[in-house]
Amino acid sequence: MLDQYLPVLMQLSVATGFAVSTLLISVLLGKSAKSNAIKDSAYECGMLPIGDDKPRFSVKFYVIAMLFVIFDIEVVFMYPWAVTFKNFLANGQAAMVFWSMSGFVGILLVAYLYALKKGALSWKS
Amino acid sequence: MIIDLIVFIPVIAALAIGLGAEGRKTALGAAGANLILGLIVISELMRKGGEELIFETSTVILENPKLTLGFAVDGMSGVLLLLTVIVTFCAVYVSPEKAPDGKVKLYHIAPLLISAGALGAFCSTDLFFLFAFHELALIPTFLMIGLYGHGRDKLAVAWKITIYLGVGSLILLGGLIALYSNLTSAESATFNIADLTAIAETMQLDQEVQKWIFLPLFLGFGILVSLFPFHSWAAPAYASAPTSIAMLHAGVLKKFGLYGILRVAMPMLPKGFEAWEGLILVLLLGNIIYVGFVTISQKYLDRMLGNSSVMHMGYAFLGIACVNHIGWNGAVLMMFAHGISIALLFALCGSLRERLSTLELSEIGGLASKVPFLAVSFGFAAFASIGLPGFANFASEITILFGAFNGAGEVGNLQKAAILALWGVVISAVYMLRAYRNVFQGDSAQGLTLVRRDSLNKIPIILMIVVLLLTGFFPNLILSMLPS
Amino acid sequence: MPAYYLEILILLLGFTMLGIEAFSSNRSRSGIAVLGISGLFVVLLFLIIAVPSSEVPYDYWGIYHVDKWALFYKAIAILTTLLVLVLAKDFSSAFKKYTSQSNEFSGIGEYYCLPIFVCAGLMWMASAKDLITIFVSLELVTIGFYVLVSFMRRNVGSLEAGVKYLVLGALSTGFLVYGIAWIFGVTGHFDLSGIAEALNSGEIEKKPIIFAFALLMVGLGFKVAAVPFHIWVPDVYQGTSMPITAFLSVGSKAAGFIVLLRVIEPFLNSPLTSSSVILILSFLVCVTLFFGNLVAIKQTNIKRLLAYSSIAHAGFLMMALPAMESGFHSKLIGPSPMESISFYLAGYLLMTMLCFLVITIVSSLTDGENIDDLRGLGARSPLLAFAMLVGVASLAGIPLTVGFFGKFLLFNIAIQYAVFSGSWYIVAFAVLGASAGFYYYFKIIRAMYCGGAEQDGDQLALTISTLSRVVIIVLLAGVILCGVFPKLILGFL
Repeated sequence: MLDQYLPVLMQLSVATGFAVSTLLISVLLGKSAKSNAIKDSAYECGMLPIGDDKPRFSVKFYVIAMLFVIFDIEVVFMYPWAVTFKNFLANGQAAMVFWSMSGFVGILLVAYLYALKKGALSWKS
Repeated sequence: MIIDLIVFIPVIAALAIGLGAEGRKTALGAAGANLILGLIVISELMRKGGEELIFETSTVILENPKLTLGFAVDGMSGVLLLLTVIVTFCAVYVSPEKAPDGKVKLYHIAPLLISAGALGAFCSTDLFFLFAFHELALIPTFLMIGLYGHGRDKLAVAWKITIYLGVGSLILLGGLIALYSNLTSAESATFNIADLTAIAETMQLDQEVQKWIFLPLFLGFGILVSLFPFHSWAAPAYASAPTSIAMLHAGVLKKFGLYGILRVAMPMLPKGFEAWEGLILVLLLGNIIYVGFVTISQKYLDRMLGNSSVMHMGYAFLGIACVNHIGWNGAVLMMFAHGISIALLFALCGSLRERLSTLELSEIGGLASKVPFLAVSFGFAAFASIGLPGFANFASEITILFGAFNGAGEVGNLQKAAILALWGVVISAVYMLRAYRNVFQGDSAQGLTLVRRDSLNKIPIILMIVVLLLTGFFPNLILSMLPS
Repeated sequence: MPAYYLEILILLLGFTMLGIEAFSSNRSRSGIAVLGISGLFVVLLFLIIAVPSSEVPYDYWGIYHVDKWALFYKAIAILTTLLVLVLAKDFSSAFKKYTSQSNEFSGIGEYYCLPIFVCAGLMWMASAKDLITIFVSLELVTIGFYVLVSFMRRNVGSLEAGVKYLVLGALSTGFLVYGIAWIFGVTGHFDLSGIAEALNSGEIEKKPIIFAFALLMVGLGFKVAAVPFHIWVPDVYQGTSMPITAFLSVGSKAAGFIVLLRVIEPFLNSPLTSSSVILILSFLVCVTLFFGNLVAIKQTNIKRLLAYSSIAHAGFLMMALPAMESGFHSKLIGPSPMESISFYLAGYLLMTMLCFLVITIVSSLTDGENIDDLRGLGARSPLLAFAMLVGVASLAGIPLTVGFFGKFLLFNIAIQYAVFSGSWYIVAFAVLGASAGFYYYFKIIRAMYCGGAEQDGDQLALTISTLSRVVIIVLLAGVILCGVFPKLILGFL
């Protein structure tokens, strides 16, 4: 009776199956080689692996990346709006459709001004 | 209006003390004013006969279910109101100016709040507020025992009484809700006691329904009255509590449970009582006989008094179990007489505590010559508590026995219980007289220190003795207000 | 003025505050807090005066629903936020220690602004009758809280709380979304009235819809802190700053409950799902009452204690949920489950805020958050001690306080429902829980009055700002007056 949910089950099993099989294969194939200390150490073009394994990025990168995503999404939301724009105009709902998008952009504008003023986009300091 | 005043004067006085008014004087003023107002109410009740509610006031605070903040008195409420104002006055009178740690405010606010709670509960015309006012005493009692209690385990005692009374009142609340929702419908939901009684009389709920509503009501009220086997909070709490709190709690507040049974459970659920009669008779005999023997075995005066107060509740239950007006009137008279006499005993015990380093019965003795006034009044109180003729306690016990045998063609369970209960008089004679002999007669024990702190407060003690004798010789002063 | 202007006003207020924070050269940020408090007060006045509390509920575009409940819960949201800002203002002195070292005022402005946006989210939740709107507004609230919870950047506890809240919050959001997807898949509707129709149409199967409902309950149970979805509550309450704890325990819970009430109604009233839903709810109620109350007994940290107490109160509130069943509704005497829950939440707002205000003032001076740190408060500051006494008594359900009347209403429903359906075990758990409550709430009272304060009796004198003093007295009066005259709250319902 749940058969119309079969695709869901399939998706679930494929997802788990992939994760399980990847892990399984790596264990099965990886066991064949013996490991020792030298083999386990990182190989970096003959350079000795000294120092942090993760290089540190300035937090600015993250901030900028995040801001980019936010404003990127903003544009994404504009597409469906633009597509249905004409329908709303035809129904005489021009004001509503205009103000709703203005509100949306306005919110992001304030956020942008705030970020600007807080120095999120300036690289110095 | 006058009842509203009586209920709110202590609250206002407590507020005033909280905001900086002088502690003892304010409290005493409020209690004195209440005493006078209480006497006015009583005289009016005597004139009218106490059958119907007088001085009725009400403020509607909710329409559905109908809740009214209102007060009125009939005979039974009036008797308990009188008891409350007398005991409050005496309790406030015997309280010292300052608490042992030098603080004033809480020490005088707490008795006033307990008194207000009791007055509100006894005079409410509404089931909801009958319940609500009673619990007003919970926090003051907890704090007073926890802060100013005697003995090392005072905090444990404070927890015990709080949890017991808290659980008891929750069970009671459950019973009350079940009661009103079974008696009324969505359109006419009300909490008015008189209306509910009238509905219950005409409607007559099914035996089975009555049985299962009566149980939580009786249990809830019973825990508050220290019904056996839920009595173990009472004696330690009274032994540990400061004098004024012990007087108010043992003398007044404990009567709330009995009042509730007489006011709510018995008239509204008569068949419920029938279903549980056997169990109730056993439990009340437990109160009288078992707790009686426990009382005999006590080694400390304060514990003994606490247990004796638990024991005497058994007689009140017996009066209730008679299911006739003679027995019920006896129970009401019992509440009054016991309330005054136990308050008197605790007041005297408090005076002794101030003067002695210990209250262990085997350690003290021969005090009659050193504090003759205390000895004489303790004698009166002990006689009253035993139920010697001439005191109100005797009148009440005899009325209860009359009630138990009234119209009985044969010896049923009730009569058997009453016969067994008679032995309780002997038990109480044993422990009371023994205590009197130990404390006041005999040789003065070695190493006993008699520290005289301040002069004795004779007025409240004399007042209570006079009330006991007066109502003992003229029990009709009280009984005339009750239905016959 | 249409009701949806209120949220827009709140947002504008938030933007203004944010703008001031960004552009003002004044280093002190208390002006922002004052602006926020007064702005919220004005919006509250608008809500009471200008918005017609129409008898006929109406919808805007099917996504924004206005009825008296929505308005009531909006008022609760605004009032809570207002009080949180008062708390935050008092807390700012302690707060400075945990933010940036270079500039002691850094970040405080945002601390005042973010609750405003959360408030907007709470208000939208009150109006949401559509799973999408519910989800979006819920996320607005939750994301705001993610930031607020971990706001004390230099405090490890706060960061830990933030991480926990983020991870578990995301998890619960996942359940919620999954549940919404299933419901849409089964019924083909997002709006609750459509779902109700579909449920009663007889064309859908039972198992998937119950599965979907269970998923929804996980998400919403997280919001209202019901056991077993409560695991985040103690740690987050303890770790985060005091005002946010208060905000979480009142605002988040109230909004969670209005959504819960709206969501479960169609499920309870459909013959298809009703019995299973009642079973699920009864189970949640019992475990919540049991664990919330019993675990609270052992707590020594006052915020953890209040966290478990908050869980316990969720249990008491949920007690009335099964009684929303349509077959029972006509038999109920007294206020309906919806009214009772709303009354209780309003009372809960008053008493919890009162307690938190006192604790905030005490702990911002002494840094201590244990029950023992309240020792001797009765002597140090009688007003604070009395306020705490009344607040705690009300939480415990001592009569003549608003907490008692709320409990009375809920017990009224639970007992009548037990008579109707035989579910006495719920009442038993509630009695057990309430009695445990007497113990752990009285522990606080004992600490304040009976605790020996001699050794550290000469602690810093407690200074209470005029604003806090006024708010404390107002809340005190509210707790007592609404307890004696419940119509002050019920009148709005």
